[in-house]
Amino acid sequence: MASMDIPADGPHEVARPAVRAVAAPRLTWLTLALMTTASVASLRAAPTMAVYGLACVFLYLVPAVVFLLPTALVSAELASGWNGGVYRWVSEGLSKPLGFLAVWCQFAMTIFYYPSLLAFVASTIAYVINPALASNGVYTAIVIMVLYWTGVWVSSRGTKALAGLSSWGLVIGTLVPGTILVVLGMVFLAQGNPSAAPMTASHLLPQWTGLASLVLIVNNFLSYSGMEMNAVHVSSLKNPAKEYPKSMFLAMGLVLLIFILPALAISWVVPADQTSLTAGVMQAFEAFFSYFHIGWMTPIAAVMLISASLAGMLTWLAGPSKGLLEISRNEGYLPPYLQKLNKHGIQQNILVTQGVVTTVIALMYALIPGVSSVYWIFSTITTQVYLIVYLLMFVAAIRLRRNQPDHPRGYRVPALTLVCVTGWLASAAALVIGFVPPSQFGGNSVGAYVAFVGGGLLVLGVLIPWAFLKFRKPSWRMEGGDAE
Amino acid sequence: MSPTRFASEHKWIYISAIVLLVALAVIGVINYTSVRKTNEATDKANQLADAAVAAGYPRPDTDTIVRTLGTDGGSVCEDPGSALKSALWKINVSNGAAFVGQRPVIGDTQALRAEAKILQIYCPDKLDDFQDRLDDLDTDDTVRR
Repeated sequence: MASMDIPADGPHEVARPAVRAVAAPRLTWLTLALMTTASVASLRAAPTMAVYGLACVFLYLVPAVVFLLPTALVSAELASGWNGGVYRWVSEGLSKPLGFLAVWCQFAMTIFYYPSLLAFVASTIAYVINPALASNGVYTAIVIMVLYWTGVWVSSRGTKALAGLSSWGLVIGTLVPGTILVVLGMVFLAQGNPSAAPMTASHLLPQWTGLASLVLIVNNFLSYSGMEMNAVHVSSLKNPAKEYPKSMFLAMGLVLLIFILPALAISWVVPADQTSLTAGVMQAFEAFFSYFHIGWMTPIAAVMLISASLAGMLTWLAGPSKGLLEISRNEGYLPPYLQKLNKHGIQQNILVTQGVVTTVIALMYALIPGVSSVYWIFSTITTQVYLIVYLLMFVAAIRLRRNQPDHPRGYRVPALTLVCVTGWLASAAALVIGFVPPSQFGGNSVGAYVAFVGGGLLVLGVLIPWAFLKFRKPSWRMEGGDAE
Repeated sequence: MSPTRFASEHKWIYISAIVLLVALAVIGVINYTSVRKTNEATDKANQLADAAVAAGYPRPDTDTIVRTLGTDGGSVCEDPGSALKSALWKINVSNGAAFVGQRPVIGDTQALRAEAKILQIYCPDKLDDFQDRLDDLDTDDTVRR
């Protein structure tokens, strides 16, 4: 098979014989930090959370303590000791099939995510060009197709191409407009204007209404999903052991700032009755900029949001598919066709196959109203599937510390067991709360909802990966794939 | 392969991306039309401000409402009940995630009905379709006011 192998995995690895190597493109720790931030945070969520006023700080900080911190610290330790990302950590800590399950779940859930992300981008482009287009299915389908396949093409050009685009996308699409929002918000307060949302101590906690509030708080744990995803590129760092933890800590700080400060700034300026949950993200930005008589900034902010969304998409296209490829080549979990690499050393066939499935789903979303109206339910199923990754990752981290205590690590998490148990319990709580029907389900049967979400979780997160493992053939293993 | 060579290989991808985004921003700014302040726009803004006060919020700046919504409600009144627009806001009644962690929650009753108030004042003919979709939701009071 005319293919090239993945880069050798660093000092703890044995170089693989009989396969040509593609040199790992060098990334700086700063670039990796920006890529990680671009995968997790953008201003898209700011208007949604601005509705909660000062309580949005609570709604982001509590999940940061119980989910972001464990995820970031544990990934920092694991990536500073083992290359390859989550598949490798779970493979080493638990078993290879579970390693495959982990990276499969990380990969598979993105397939359903791209259509909704790109539909948002299409509606934002429509806002800039002609708002009437946002309701047009053909327009939405075309935009999704063009952007998605351009993303696949860019990703197939190599890690360096997407690293540059995603980190600049974050800077232009999130950091710059986020700073503008926060500065304008502070100017608003400095002018002596009262905050539109009450900023008293009694508003620090969200309203407690029982189950609805619990759903809101626990589901917010997932705001930080994806912090570990870019660890798959760790071998591109010059000194992964030292640089990856540094990049993770910077990303953690940036993610917190991006989530909290712009949401607060919007809540200062725009009354919650104008940051409608239904009128769209751009409506809130328009109200914000209009206060300062710079409404013309709104389309510019829209373009910035578009660049941030596409930057995030690029990181998600490249990360999980690379992890899936690596374990599949080592263990023969995927057919040889999917294991082929292009001349840039990229898993092009996995990306293209994923693209075909995504295309079908996206066309259904854009053109069949019955599909788009229930599409929200897929975001529950996919986040449920993603939580399997975290449940496995935290257990693997504890096992690795116990079973391989002397394995060199660039960073060790203090009180690792406590940190992992906290993260595992937070993930399990989010998994359980995922079965509570949200607003969109209306007053329909809870049993039906549980069956639908549970069925989706079973099919996507268990049956499909099980089928790959069950029907794999020894010949699917790549030569030299047992080097690890 | 040196970083320099990578940079030069991909330079034209970066340049194309920048050109496209800048072009889109220019089109957006050209298309953006600032709303003229008229008596009708002010009347409608006052009605919306009164509704906000009645809902327990501080009175919003009516000039800002005029500039945002004008007389016709702007983009808010652009086919609000369509399948794709409804699909998007249903996805956005969610937690605070910006990417793959986004999942639906039990939304706040008033926050979800805020747009209906805008439609009622600015484009009442488009309220029914939207209202039907809102009525299907199961909401709660999750925002402290």
